[in-house]
Amino acid sequence: MPKSKEPEKKESSEKKKFSRRDFLTISGAAVAAQALVTTTGCSTTPETAPDTAAELYPESKGYLVYDSKKCIGCTTCMLSCSMVHYGEQSLSLSRIQIMQDSFGKFPDDLQIAPCRQCVTPPCVINCPEGAAYIDTENGNVRRIDQEKCVGCQTCLEMCPQQPHRTIWNHVTGTATKCDLCIDTPYWNEKGGIGGKQACVESCPMKAIKFVSFTPDQKETEGYNVNLRNDHWLNLGLVDSATVVPPMMKNQPPMPKFGPPKPKAKG
Amino acid sequence: MKGGYTGKILRVDLSNKEIKTIPTEKYVEFGGGHGMGSAIFFDLVGDQLPFEAFDPRNLIIMMASPFSGTNMPGSGRVDVQGLGPMLYPIEWFGHSNFGGRFTAQLKFAGWDGVVVEGASDKPCWINIVNDKVVIEDANGIWGMDTWDTQEEIARRVMPGLKLGEWAEVSDDDYTTQVPAVVCCGPAGETKSRLGALLHGPGSQAALCGFGGVFGSKNLKAISAIGTGSVPIADPKAFMDTRLWYNQFQWNVDNPREGNRFITGMYKVSAGAPSGANTTNSQIPLVPARAAACASCPRGCRMRLASADSNESVCGGTMTFGGFRGGGGNLKTTRNQNDLMQKYGFGHWQLIPTRGYLMTLYQRGLVGKGKMIECDLPLDQADSAAFPMALMDAMATRKGIGNDLTEGAARFAAKYGLLEEDLHKGALRLTYWGTSDHYDARIEVEWGYGSLLGERDLMLHMMANYPLHWMAWTGDPYLTAEQAAKLYTDAMVPYNGDEFMADYSEKGIYTDSKVKAVAWVKHYEKFWIGAGGFCGWRWPMCITCTTPDGRGPTPEAEPRFWNAVTGQNLSFADAMEIGHKIYTLDRSIWVLQGRHRNMEVFPDYIYDQPSRGSEMPMYIDGQWKYDNGAGRKLDRAKFEDWKTRFYKFEGYNPENGYPTRETLEGMNLKRVADTLESRGRLG
Repeated sequence: MPKSKEPEKKESSEKKKFSRRDFLTISGAAVAAQALVTTTGCSTTPETAPDTAAELYPESKGYLVYDSKKCIGCTTCMLSCSMVHYGEQSLSLSRIQIMQDSFGKFPDDLQIAPCRQCVTPPCVINCPEGAAYIDTENGNVRRIDQEKCVGCQTCLEMCPQQPHRTIWNHVTGTATKCDLCIDTPYWNEKGGIGGKQACVESCPMKAIKFVSFTPDQKETEGYNVNLRNDHWLNLGLVDSATVVPPMMKNQPPMPKFGPPKPKAKG
Repeated sequence: MKGGYTGKILRVDLSNKEIKTIPTEKYVEFGGGHGMGSAIFFDLVGDQLPFEAFDPRNLIIMMASPFSGTNMPGSGRVDVQGLGPMLYPIEWFGHSNFGGRFTAQLKFAGWDGVVVEGASDKPCWINIVNDKVVIEDANGIWGMDTWDTQEEIARRVMPGLKLGEWAEVSDDDYTTQVPAVVCCGPAGETKSRLGALLHGPGSQAALCGFGGVFGSKNLKAISAIGTGSVPIADPKAFMDTRLWYNQFQWNVDNPREGNRFITGMYKVSAGAPSGANTTNSQIPLVPARAAACASCPRGCRMRLASADSNESVCGGTMTFGGFRGGGGNLKTTRNQNDLMQKYGFGHWQLIPTRGYLMTLYQRGLVGKGKMIECDLPLDQADSAAFPMALMDAMATRKGIGNDLTEGAARFAAKYGLLEEDLHKGALRLTYWGTSDHYDARIEVEWGYGSLLGERDLMLHMMANYPLHWMAWTGDPYLTAEQAAKLYTDAMVPYNGDEFMADYSEKGIYTDSKVKAVAWVKHYEKFWIGAGGFCGWRWPMCITCTTPDGRGPTPEAEPRFWNAVTGQNLSFADAMEIGHKIYTLDRSIWVLQGRHRNMEVFPDYIYDQPSRGSEMPMYIDGQWKYDNGAGRKLDRAKFEDWKTRFYKFEGYNPENGYPTRETLEGMNLKRVADTLESRGRLG
């Protein structure tokens, strides 16, 4: 977790900083709604404040789900992310993080950490500058306005995920997060809802997928899904020793090493 | 330098405990990677040659490429360069590469490469954290196996590191990544000539014995972690190219003719994930993921639920126990091979060394009271205990282990067996002390290319996978004629000559084959070497993943290169730089004593008939797949072929030395001057 930084770029209004524990004690949409209207600059105003979380935080119309058992850890998604957003190749700036232990045991040797576009988004709720917001003009994607962000890192602390999905940009001194590729100045494709996402497009294993339904928010499993089919199993990449790939059923014992008799055609 | 380079190369002097930098700009004409490494080697110590590999003057050079740390597919490798103590009879200026994440992290830390010179007076390791570089004391690490070494160093570099959390690397810089460590094992510490460098559990620089060079320098490891960026000259063009490349990848959800291309040898050669771990291919399968090097869209390796043989491939999984288990069970096999990785032995030379020992045992020459005294349990060679006993003896230089750890060639020479066994084929160290691999009488670009280099070529994606293994399956997806034409179409600038792919009795001595071997060497030096490409991924002249069989070569390479660097390099331009790098390497070998008279195969290649090896051949006016069984290499014809090759490359055919005209035409006047001062200018 990066160290908190005093706002330097601009004068900051009195900030209310939540600790992770504080946030977790907050329950109910009304409390969250109050936090929103008092601390953020999203388009919702007190006069028109809705009284339900669903209205207050309109759900994102797009999400990234992934299959951590299908991932090969090549970090292509990470580098594509930094490429389209910054025109550079960087793992630290990537808004999706792949973490792996080469010595570890499958499947616990690797984790994928993209932003969940939370239905109740702590980063938006707790941003004291209104920099983190719901982009109602672009499918309700949760975003961070780089012009407004003062680098206080509250959103990093408030993100309940481990690792936090808001990303510290050490170059600009601001926080960033996945925008589903809405703002990709270094890519010729249209991103965002209805467009393409660089990580999805470049993943060689097709282990990341854009979906328009809201995943189960309670568990990681809502986002970490099975994207494998029989072709994957036929590569010998099973997730249980009892699984027999279709092509290996009724297979004779493997031959010892040595060249098969050639039956080459001309 | 618009993109691809960080701008500075790290130079570490272990003797004087000095950290210096070399501006990358000085070597940009060599591209990167191997090219820059060769030039740096020549500039720093070329005029002092010859000297021995364990001399402190020897260098360990690990240069990144402009592609390192980028999304360029299959560019996650690094060439280690320096004098190779494993090579024979001269410790040639050699190279050995390994995959993983090392050069990516080196680039993110802000370095285009690392050059290590001198020797430390006590065990040390080099700690690279962004711009900060420290020569650390290896107390408590020296003596550890390669796996423990890496985990301990990761703990020392980032004490707060936990998988799945952000950790502070330096002030206000954070990462979720772990340090990339390359190290030697106990084998390297005792200067074994078979000592490898390990990165991760199974990524080896297996050839040349650079683990032993680490040991000779009292250098245990180099660790790199960075939070910076690699600049890209034209990000949009790069991203477009990366997505264009997708069509050549194995489609994991709907592979083209999936049932065909993941059976038998296609599983390794077709570009499908995971196939290179040879010990997890029979039921019951151990649950596993395919695991990739940085930026590789293939993922040829595996990480298992048992964590056995993680990230090991090919020889790294089959040195002990035999292919798919051999006489033992798979669990034992995996553990034995993992033990090899932990000791830090290079698998590709441990295989012939162990095999030769057993051959001598069967001949009655080795054992208690025999000509070669040995107290290893040779009668229990199939047991799980034998590999440990063998490797422990070698790593600690006990008994016969002290001789074996010198490598098979020097071991045989010590007991007066080398000359006869090498030439009769009992000890098949075909290329400069490295093992026979593919038949030099048939698959000649491999054989000739190795002999005209300094060690086994080890480039499967030349003709080997695409042509040989396609035919070897017995189910080739292209006819021999189609394959020859498609393959050679990609061989710019010599494209259009399909007979470059003719492996017939006649075809292996033609001028077309001169061009083919030159193409292999130039591609090896630029795209593989300077570009950091993987030899299991590039070149892709043909592929089974596209309907027309065409691969991304030669379009992809310059598209990626120019997008990253901002240069305007054509494929042919790059191949000429490859020619230049090859010529520079050759000049260094000449300074070490190379002469065309040395570039001959062991007698068995000329005198004993080949068992055959399937390749496209043009016979009696028709293309066909044939194996050429029974063929012997003709000495006179091969010598004539060499003469034409030397002329083609700009070398004096009388001695194989590069000429002044050739060198000066490559902006290598300083090399010509050095050769002339030694009386070795061609």
